[in-house]
Amino acid sequence: MSKHIQTLVAVLVGLVVFAGAALFMLGAHHNVRTATAAPASSAIVASPAKAVPIDSTKCIAPTEYMKAHHMQVLDQWRFDSVRKGTRTFVTPDGRHFDKSLNTCLGCHASNPMFCFMCHDYANVKPTCWSCHLSPMETTK
Amino acid sequence: MIEKALKGDRAYWAWVALLLVFTGLGMSAYGQQMSLGLGVTGMGRDISWGVYISQFTFLVGVAASAVMVVLPYYLHNQKAFGKMVIVGEFLAVSAALMCMLFILADMGKPQRVLNVLRYPSPHSMVFWDVMVLNGYLLLNLISGWAVLGAERKGVAAPAWTRPLIYLSIPWAFSIHTVTAFLFAGLPSRHLWLTAVLAPRFLASAFAAGTAILILISFLLKRFAGYDAGREARDKLTVLCAYAGIANFFLLGTEFFTAFYSNVPEHMHSFQYLYFGLEGHAPLVPFMWFSLILGLASVAVFLAPPLRRQNGWLITAAIGLVLSIWIDKGVGLVIGGFIPTPLDAVVDYMPTLTELSVTLGIWSIGLLLLTVLLKVAVAVKKEA
Amino acid sequence: MLELSSVAHGDHEMNQQRREFLRKAGLGALAGLGAAAGLFPAFALEKTDLSVFSDKPEPGKVRWGMLVNTRKCREGCTTCITACHHTHNVPDFGSSKSEVKWIWKSPYDKAFPTSSRQFQSEEVLNRKVLTLCNHCAEPPCTRACPTEATFKRWDGIVSMDYHRCIGCRFCMAACPYGSRSFNWQDPRPGVRELSSTYPTRERGVVEKCNFCSERLVKGELPACVATCPEEALSFGDLNDPKSAIRTMLQSNETMQRKPELGTLPSVFYII
Repeated sequence: MSKHIQTLVAVLVGLVVFAGAALFMLGAHHNVRTATAAPASSAIVASPAKAVPIDSTKCIAPTEYMKAHHMQVLDQWRFDSVRKGTRTFVTPDGRHFDKSLNTCLGCHASNPMFCFMCHDYANVKPTCWSCHLSPMETTK
Repeated sequence: MIEKALKGDRAYWAWVALLLVFTGLGMSAYGQQMSLGLGVTGMGRDISWGVYISQFTFLVGVAASAVMVVLPYYLHNQKAFGKMVIVGEFLAVSAALMCMLFILADMGKPQRVLNVLRYPSPHSMVFWDVMVLNGYLLLNLISGWAVLGAERKGVAAPAWTRPLIYLSIPWAFSIHTVTAFLFAGLPSRHLWLTAVLAPRFLASAFAAGTAILILISFLLKRFAGYDAGREARDKLTVLCAYAGIANFFLLGTEFFTAFYSNVPEHMHSFQYLYFGLEGHAPLVPFMWFSLILGLASVAVFLAPPLRRQNGWLITAAIGLVLSIWIDKGVGLVIGGFIPTPLDAVVDYMPTLTELSVTLGIWSIGLLLLTVLLKVAVAVKKEA
Repeated sequence: MLELSSVAHGDHEMNQQRREFLRKAGLGALAGLGAAAGLFPAFALEKTDLSVFSDKPEPGKVRWGMLVNTRKCREGCTTCITACHHTHNVPDFGSSKSEVKWIWKSPYDKAFPTSSRQFQSEEVLNRKVLTLCNHCAEPPCTRACPTEATFKRWDGIVSMDYHRCIGCRFCMAACPYGSRSFNWQDPRPGVRELSSTYPTRERGVVEKCNFCSERLVKGELPACVATCPEEALSFGDLNDPKSAIRTMLQSNETMQRKPELGTLPSVFYII
C-alpha cells in the first residue's frame, strides 16, 4: 500500500473507533446509582449558633448522594427548569419537588452557613451567590 | 525561523519597545475594565457597541484584503506579487488576531467565550464569524509560515500548502461577508439593513487593505531594505483605485436610496452622520472629512502623473485608509445605533480607558506584524 | 556469505510496510479512542439518574400575551414599573447611559415611530405608553444569539439564560424595540432593597422583562399586571380563543409596535 492509502486507512480506523466509542458512551448508562431510601436519620447539626437539626430523610436524595452529586443535580435542574420546562422532580419514593434552588433553600436556608461550611473548608468557590441570594442573605 | 526576529538595529528595537509600552498601557486599562466592568467605556444602553466593534469591523476588512495579492499570484501566476504575498498573508494574520482581541475586549463575560463552541448556534452570524475568523488566521499563518520555511531551506513549498492557499481565497471573501451579514441581517438598524452592505464592506476592505499593503511596502523598502518591486506596487495601486471607486459608488447608491425614497427610517442615520439630527451633529465634520479625503485619494490613485510620484501615492494611500477607517468604524458602527429603536438621538464618546485598550490591541497586532515581517524579510533576503 | 536475496529483500520490504501500516492504524485507533474519551467523559463522572418524571411542556400550546390599555394608564403612575423592578432586583443607577430597565413609559411617538402622527389628537400624542420586551413570536434577538443564551421558550416567552450569556450584546443590537439592558457594572450596589423572589444578575450579562415566568409557574400573574391600580394591563394565553385577552383583542382595535418588521409581538396596545 502506498503511504497515502496507509494514512487514509489509519484515519478511517480512527474514525470508526471514535464513532464506536462515542456511541457506546452515549448509549450506555454507567455506574448508575439509583437513589435508595436513607437509613436512620443522620441529623446534621447546622452550626453551633443555630443548632437546627435537618432531617435528611426529607431531602430529595440521601445525604451521601447529595454530598457527592449536588453539583450535577443543580446543573441538571438548572437546565431542565430554565431551558426545558420540566420543572417537576420525582424521587424514587414518589415525592414531588420543584427543580429550583428555592427547594434546597426552603430547608437549608435556616442555616446561613449551610453552603459555606463545606465550601470555605474545601476552598471551592462556585459563582452562585453573585446572582442567587445565598442562605446568608435570605431573611428567614 | 523565529530567531530572525531577535536580531535588529536600533530603530527596530525602539519600535518594538514603543509597541510594548503601549501594550502595557492597554493591558493596564483592560485590567480596569475587567475589575469595574464595561461601564468604564463610553458605551451604554442605547449605543451598545462602540470603538471595539468598530475596530473589529475595519480590521476584518484588512484581513480579507490579503486575497488581493494571493489570488493574482496563485491563481493567475502574476509573478510580480512574488515578494508581496507573504506580506499580505502576515498582515491577514495580524489583523485577524486584532479582530479576535477586540471581540474579547468587548465581551461582558470573556471567561465564557468557549460557550460559543460548547453551544454552537448556526443561526447566529456571530457564531459563524468566530468560526471563520479563527479558521482564516490559522490558514494564513500555517500556509505562510510553511511556504516561508521552504524558501529558507531552498526547496519547493510542501504540496499541502497549495490547497490551503486556494482555500484562503474564498475564505477571505467569506470572513468579511459574514461580518457584513452580522450587521445586515438585523431588522432593527436601518443603516445596516441593506443588501449593499456586504459588497460595500468588501470594496472598502480591498481599498483600505491594498493601500495598507502599498504603505507597508514603502516602509519595508525604507527600513528593511526590502523592495517588493515597482510592478507589484503599481498593480496594487490599480486594484486600490478600482476598489475605492466601487466603495464610493456603493456609498452613493446608499445615499440615493435613502434620500430619494424619502423613507424616514432610511434617512435618519445618514442625516445624523452627515447633516446632524435633532440638533446632534458631533460626527458631521468627521464624515465629511472622510468623504472628501477618500474621494481625493481615489482621484490621486486614478491620475497617472500623480500616482507615479511616491510622495503623492503615499499621501493618497494614507488618506484612503484614514477615510475608510472613519467611514467603517465611526460612521457605520456608531451610526447604526442612532437613532435608537425608540427614535432617540444619543451621542457616543469613547473614554480614555476604552481608547487605551484599543491602542494596546493595535500595538499587539503591530508587534505581531513586525515580528512576522522581520522573519519574512530576513528569509527572503537570504534566498 | 549471508546476503539478502532479492526475494528476502522483498519480504523484508513487505514486513516493513506492514509494520508501518499497523503502526499508523494503531495510532489512528488510539487517536479515535482518545478523542472519544476526551469528549464523552461518561466514566469520569457518575451519571445522576434519579428517576425523573417527564413533565415536558408542549411547545406552542400556550402563548403568553399582554394587552396594555393606554387609555386607562394613569399619567405619572409608575406602580407597575416599581413592582417589576423591585421584585426582580433591577438596579437603579438613575437615568444614566448604563441604566437597566425592564419596563418603562415612553412617549407615544417613540413607542410607535413608524405609525402615523399626522393630525393625531394632542391627547394621544402626549400619552405615555408602557414599553417592555414584546416576547415576539419571531424574535430577531434569539436568532442573533451565538450561544442561545436567549431563546424562545415553549410558551412563547423569550427567555434569558444568565448562566450562558457571554455579554456580546448582539441581541441588543438585534432588538427593534430597545427592550434589552446590559449590566455595564455590578448591579448589586444599585439595588436598594434585595427581594428574595428572584436572583440578581452579574456584571456582564444582558437582561430584560421575562413576563414574570417565575410567578407564572406558581399560577400568579406578572407583577406589573397584578399591581396596576387602574387594571390597565391584561395578561393571558393568546392561543386560547376564550381567554380574556383574546376576547378583549376581538372587541377592541389594537396596535402593535413596528409590525412591518414581521416580529409578531405578543404585546398589544389599546390606544
